[in-house]
Amino acid sequence: MTAARTGIGRLIGETFSASLLYLTAFVVNFEVVLPVQNLFFPEYTSRASLLFLPHGVRVLAAWLMGWRSALALLPGVFLAFFYVAGLEVFTPSRLAGVFIAVTIAPAAFEAFRLLGVNLAPRPDRTPCWICIMIAGLVASVAGSMLTNLAFGSAPVEYFAYVIGDMAGLFFLMLALMLIFRWMRRLGR
Amino acid sequence: MSEISKLTELRKLMLAMERSLGLEELSPAERDIFYAATELARETGNVKTTGLMEHALVANISRPTFFRALKSLVEKGYLSSCRSAGRGRYVVHARDD
Repeated sequence: MTAARTGIGRLIGETFSASLLYLTAFVVNFEVVLPVQNLFFPEYTSRASLLFLPHGVRVLAAWLMGWRSALALLPGVFLAFFYVAGLEVFTPSRLAGVFIAVTIAPAAFEAFRLLGVNLAPRPDRTPCWICIMIAGLVASVAGSMLTNLAFGSAPVEYFAYVIGDMAGLFFLMLALMLIFRWMRRLGR
Repeated sequence: MSEISKLTELRKLMLAMERSLGLEELSPAERDIFYAATELARETGNVKTTGLMEHALVANISRPTFFRALKSLVEKGYLSSCRSAGRGRYVVHARDD
């Protein structure tokens, strides 16, 4: 009973923090990155972001939590879709988009695991950040193909999504690296 | 995996990235000892030298290198001697875990 309560409490904590991080990354992307992108690339008319930070959140969440990240990110991803589409979030294509967004990254890590490459964090192992970037690329390619299929977007959007996802993942990891570095220096 | 473990793993990932980008401040031996110390100190808040030497990440480091790296980590402020628990015990000082 206590173990079950602890498990539920942990899931609630994970859901709150992962969803909050996703939503924050999404709002930063929508309110800061996209306006700057439109300023520098006015001829680029696509709505796809070329620096999509939320992909970084879902890849790192999937790496740390595995399949639990799908549940943990669900409220954040749903609210992000609601932020953009309003009540249209309940249309089948948008709901498919939500489903793809939460499951694609853990599915990519699972595919690696089934192929014999388990990237899950382990106390006795140094994590391979390039491998996580590759898993992020696989998730991005698969996710953009499926999302474009669901939304019926133009083929050029596939590339824009992948570029944005990978730039977002790299930039987020770089930002985290600098934050940890700064905190470490502050702590001395 | 607990919240602290997740943060530790995330920090390990970022330290690995720092190393690849040529921005690391620690030698490979110092880094492995620091990772091991972070893991071991999670339970008790401090780490014993003997326990540290038995950790999988540290097992392959020679004794002289181990003690040199340990001293360097103390000098750089990553670890400090645990006065309350006696000799041979260290507190991990990174604030980002």
